[in-house]
Amino acid sequence: MRARVLLAVARTTFREFWRSPEAVFWTYGFPVLMAVVLGFSFQPGELPKVPVAVVAGGDAVALLTTLGQEPRLAVQLLSPADADQALARGRVALLVRLDGASPVLRTDPTRPEAEVARLLVERRLLAGPETTLPTMRNEVEDRPGARYIDFLIPGLIGLNLLGAGMWGVGFNLVQMRTQHLLRRLAVTPMRHREFLAGYLLGRMVLVVPEAVTIVLFGHLVWDVPFRGSLLATALLVAVGAFAFAGLGCLLATRARTIEGIAGLMNLFQLPMWLLGGVFFDVERLTGVVRWAAEAMPLTHINRALRDVMLAPGTLLDVTVPLLGLLGFALACFWLALRWFRWQ
Amino acid sequence: MKATAADAAIDLRGLRKTYRKGKQTTVAVDGLDLVVPRGEVFGLLGPNGAGKTTTIEVCEGLTVPDAGSVRILGREWRTGHDDAIRSRIGVCLQETKFHEKATVRETLELFAAFFPSGRAVDAVLDVVSLREKAHARQSTLSGGQRQRLAVATALLGDPDLLFLDEPTTGLDPQSRRQLWDVVRSFKAAGGTAVLTTHAMDEAQQLCDRVAIIDRGKVIALGSPTDLIRSLGAEHLVEIDGEHFAERIAAAELTALPDVVAHELSPARVVLTVRSVHTALPAVLALARQRQVEIHGLATRHATLEDVFVHLTGRHLREDSKS
Repeated sequence: MRARVLLAVARTTFREFWRSPEAVFWTYGFPVLMAVVLGFSFQPGELPKVPVAVVAGGDAVALLTTLGQEPRLAVQLLSPADADQALARGRVALLVRLDGASPVLRTDPTRPEAEVARLLVERRLLAGPETTLPTMRNEVEDRPGARYIDFLIPGLIGLNLLGAGMWGVGFNLVQMRTQHLLRRLAVTPMRHREFLAGYLLGRMVLVVPEAVTIVLFGHLVWDVPFRGSLLATALLVAVGAFAFAGLGCLLATRARTIEGIAGLMNLFQLPMWLLGGVFFDVERLTGVVRWAAEAMPLTHINRALRDVMLAPGTLLDVTVPLLGLLGFALACFWLALRWFRWQ
Repeated sequence: MKATAADAAIDLRGLRKTYRKGKQTTVAVDGLDLVVPRGEVFGLLGPNGAGKTTTIEVCEGLTVPDAGSVRILGREWRTGHDDAIRSRIGVCLQETKFHEKATVRETLELFAAFFPSGRAVDAVLDVVSLREKAHARQSTLSGGQRQRLAVATALLGDPDLLFLDEPTTGLDPQSRRQLWDVVRSFKAAGGTAVLTTHAMDEAQQLCDRVAIIDRGKVIALGSPTDLIRSLGAEHLVEIDGEHFAERIAAAELTALPDVVAHELSPARVVLTVRSVHTALPAVLALARQRQVEIHGLATRHATLEDVFVHLTGRHLREDSKS
């Protein structure tokens, strides 16, 4: 590799980005915007009420009164038709109807709040209308480092590393192919690995300030702590950026059109958005879905980032994911070099 | 000058390239032979789809031929000399969009980094007259300036051999002439240039020799002057008027002195003639005698377009039929 070529390509890539205000906004502004929205949406507060409906008929009004005594339930009386609609649209988590004297509870167990509703309704019905249940003091976890926003911030960093690799590298390379710039470059004595490495370098340099922006914003606005090793975090960001840049490069090897690369990117991005541990912990998944999540690089970046940001994790704690991600990145880059289509 | 493989810039033998798309097969180049000696400006002339671009891309190493041998500056592609060839050639593709946000100078600096040695960016800026645009971004350049930038990237490595694929298509007359000057000065400095075009005036103005290509084959090869001379007559007389076909018989036109060929229609007659000063008075006298009213008269030199029409019965470009 000739450093001169590497730096020339990296410089051009870097400059092309800085001179595009839209690209700068979507890279640095959007993650902050997302942190603001998510931070406000998931502020710790009072426990929310669970909406349930009593289906009209028989002694429904008495049932309504009994359930109305449970402070965590928001109960309403609905006609059978309206009740079915409300459950189908997810406006209530549970329907109670009377079959003679015995209550029947109806839920869709795939909805996350169904089980909470069932437990609350069962508890109240078992106690009966007159019994006063022992009260317990509820504590809301609002200590920095333990809230949902603390969980989200490292996930957002991972998400942005993924986006930078897909859009910054994959999409842009295909655009250069459609504009015949790649074939023009290919007829110069530039070596392919020099160009691709320079290109990745130019894009990766952009990622560091992106991660710093998110961490700083989370810390200053939401008081998200930073407890572990700074060096480990920096390395994770760099290696994560390299891994996704490598993946973007690999996806861009053959695509001839913008539509082609957009489809491929969605194919890889969407499952990682959903299952890569950005919004909830992967440990909660089971079976094949868990296996799929464990196979995703985003899962490992997010987990390792949480280990060094939310816990006092050291470089040693994240050595395995770091090496794994580095291996993944090198494998992607190697395959991309072999398969890359210059025209 | 009889070119041999040893001193040739380009030596193509039995070149063949077929493109397959689904079940459809297109023969782009069909057994093409071509030798371009060093120091020449050589033109590949032909209609769209004739195989010019495929031929030039095979020479540039972008396209792998199905059959045939290709020697560029004495070396073959894919035999371990690719980088050596690439550092001695300059390429201007038919259509390239450089980085939109990069300035002219930055674009040239990027390409300059690829070559182990070459010309200074400033020197190349002067050659293509873009010095005053050095700090302008690509997105603000005119079509002619973009094209000159594309040629500038091709000159950076100080190449021995320059490929220009339709360098002036879509440019205004002034930009075309500026590019022609660049090619002429490249040749004057000892370079070899190969260009494709379907503009016959460009080929006539610029090229020492041209190969007329049709359906993947060379159908004529020589200097523009020789090719036009091969028509047997170098001038055309075009007369517009009324009642030509009714009042003058085709055989009467052929019988006129120095007339080699003719095209006769009710309102127009086109004569290919060896000498205007003998043929023109004769045809005017015939028209007067038959009381044909003449509205317009023009004489011009035969062009490579006429050579192409003569060889194929078709025009180089659909819009050049008049």
